[in-house]
Amino acid sequence: MRVLIIEDEKNMAGEMSEFLEKAFYLCDIAYTADQGRKAMEENQYDFILLDLGLPDKDGLHLLSETKKICPSASYIILTARGDLEDRIKGLDLGADDYLPKPFSLLELQSRMQAISRRKSGNNDPVLDLGEFSIDLNKRSVSYQEKEIELSRKEFDLLSYMLLHKNRPLTRLQLSEHIWGSFSDDDYDSNYIDVHIKNIRKKMSVHAPVEWLQTLRGIGYKIKI
Amino acid sequence: MKLLSKLTLFVTFSKLLIAILFVLLLPSLIKRASFQYTNYYLGQQKKKVLSVIAKNGVDYYLQGDSAYGSYTMLKEEYISLIPAGNQIIHDTIETSRRIIEGDTLNYRVLTSAFMYGNKNYLLEIGKTTATIGQYNNLLQRFTLFILIGLILLSIIVDLVYTNILLRPLARIVRTKLQGRKFPFKDVLTPVKTSTSDFKYLDRSLISLMEKIHEAFDKEREFTSNASHELMTPISILQTNIENMIVDEGVDESGQEKLSAMLITLNRLKKIVHSLLYISRIDNEQFTKMDTINVHDLVTEVTNELAHRMEMKSIIFTNTVARKANIKQVNHDLLFQLFYNLINNAIRYNKEYGSIIISDYYSEGQPYRISIKDTGIGIREEELETIFNRFKKSGQSDGEGYGLGLSIVKSIVDYHGAEIRVSSEFGKGTDFNIIFPAEKIGI
Repeated sequence: MRVLIIEDEKNMAGEMSEFLEKAFYLCDIAYTADQGRKAMEENQYDFILLDLGLPDKDGLHLLSETKKICPSASYIILTARGDLEDRIKGLDLGADDYLPKPFSLLELQSRMQAISRRKSGNNDPVLDLGEFSIDLNKRSVSYQEKEIELSRKEFDLLSYMLLHKNRPLTRLQLSEHIWGSFSDDDYDSNYIDVHIKNIRKKMSVHAPVEWLQTLRGIGYKIKI
Repeated sequence: MKLLSKLTLFVTFSKLLIAILFVLLLPSLIKRASFQYTNYYLGQQKKKVLSVIAKNGVDYYLQGDSAYGSYTMLKEEYISLIPAGNQIIHDTIETSRRIIEGDTLNYRVLTSAFMYGNKNYLLEIGKTTATIGQYNNLLQRFTLFILIGLILLSIIVDLVYTNILLRPLARIVRTKLQGRKFPFKDVLTPVKTSTSDFKYLDRSLISLMEKIHEAFDKEREFTSNASHELMTPISILQTNIENMIVDEGVDESGQEKLSAMLITLNRLKKIVHSLLYISRIDNEQFTKMDTINVHDLVTEVTNELAHRMEMKSIIFTNTVARKANIKQVNHDLLFQLFYNLINNAIRYNKEYGSIIISDYYSEGQPYRISIKDTGIGIREEELETIFNRFKKSGQSDGEGYGLGLSIVKSIVDYHGAEIRVSSEFGKGTDFNIIFPAEKIGI
């Protein structure tokens, strides 16, 4: 997957690219709208991450132009302006998603994955997790063909951790994913603990779940 | 009442008043006028009689009689001529009763003395009052008809003219004021009028609204820029830390510290979010075009919060009337309002506590929604300040109310509603939101 990051904050662009490359995305960075358009004329991109506050042009203008140059790409708008109308305008112009800054890089990757899944017509392979198999399309977990019943939030948590496997996830990051902007730190994080406990209880009946690790003072990690 | 209606009423009433006054005065005016004319006329007749007597001599009339009385000389007026003594008599005119040829009649009589041949004579010229008032009624009626006609004509002319005159004002009200909503986005065209006052009013309104719109845009741009300036560094920090936490060179205690930093950063993010949110509400950047069903909204909010209630085993009751709707509000803001209040009711509740949401309404009265919990309550001395920004509560865990209730207050004010709070420390709190009756549809 090839990603173009159009972001004028060099530090920010660098961090995003570093993170996404670890998740096996190929990243190009453009610091201005002009550079962004040139890059799009030269390469085909799967994802275009677009900051709205660019120095040479408003991101929304660029979006309406580049939709013609690069129609197959998925666009995610990233903005710190927080203007209420931007979101509506952006989605009207054909953006696939909208992430207000500050956002978690984990959330960005999760959104990108969701868009890919949507565009590929939900054709994800069934993933293995220890002795279990996770079907993201059907949203089901099974052990030797036998389905294990998880609540909606429990499945969300498990699949999110699986997407970011081998990486420590803080309770805050997990609760932000589950409850979005309504998450409440050190309040909902207890609830994450309850969910994890339930997941462990339901799954360990069938097979060991030592891949689900607790990181004291931080959160959880799926290690495979 | 509209200016045009007021003017119409004034014009009509004032003209009618003048007409009535005139009608009341008309008989006495005409009477006086005719008497005055009679007096003048009698004076003229006297001169005529005296000149005739001077020509023909008194004896021609007296013919040896001691007195002369006849209609013959002046055809219409009665003349009486008698010799008078030596007393001096001034000319007088008076109305008196006379018996002439057997009839008792009211006469207007001019009495005058004159000398003829060294003898004083007394001349009386009389005119019956009946003949004086002969045309009065006819004259009155005629005047009245003309008067009514003229007044009707002048009322019509006045009304048509004021209507034309005030038409630009009506147009100004219609295009500049009626149905116009803050922040007055649409461009206005001046109303065509030759009246300078209206021109001035129209121009002032246009420039005022443009100024308001400009100020609104500036404020909006400011919050947008402030948001950008504040959120960008937080955003960079967050991505930095998120990448660092998986860095191979960072050990477990380092990860723990980074995780704590993320939590602190999140707190900062929420504060900035809330401040910008409040400033957007205060600058009226939200539309108020939604109609919401209160019961559904409460359900929507509690769905979002169900897990938190479950954690504390809280019993939740929603007794809000299913048909209660609030008009001209912003859905997202009201969601936030109820979210913050119910969230607080959970947060400051005890295990196995309860939350009751109920509403009170009677026709034409304000609509009240109560959110009542059995939580830790608020001390009386703190009740006044809980809506202030960043007010720390005196609770032992040192946790403040933050900005949640400030947001609530801003949303309530923005919708022209009112919020009241009553609380018993240690027993629970009751928040009441009161919406004006005209916003309610039941």
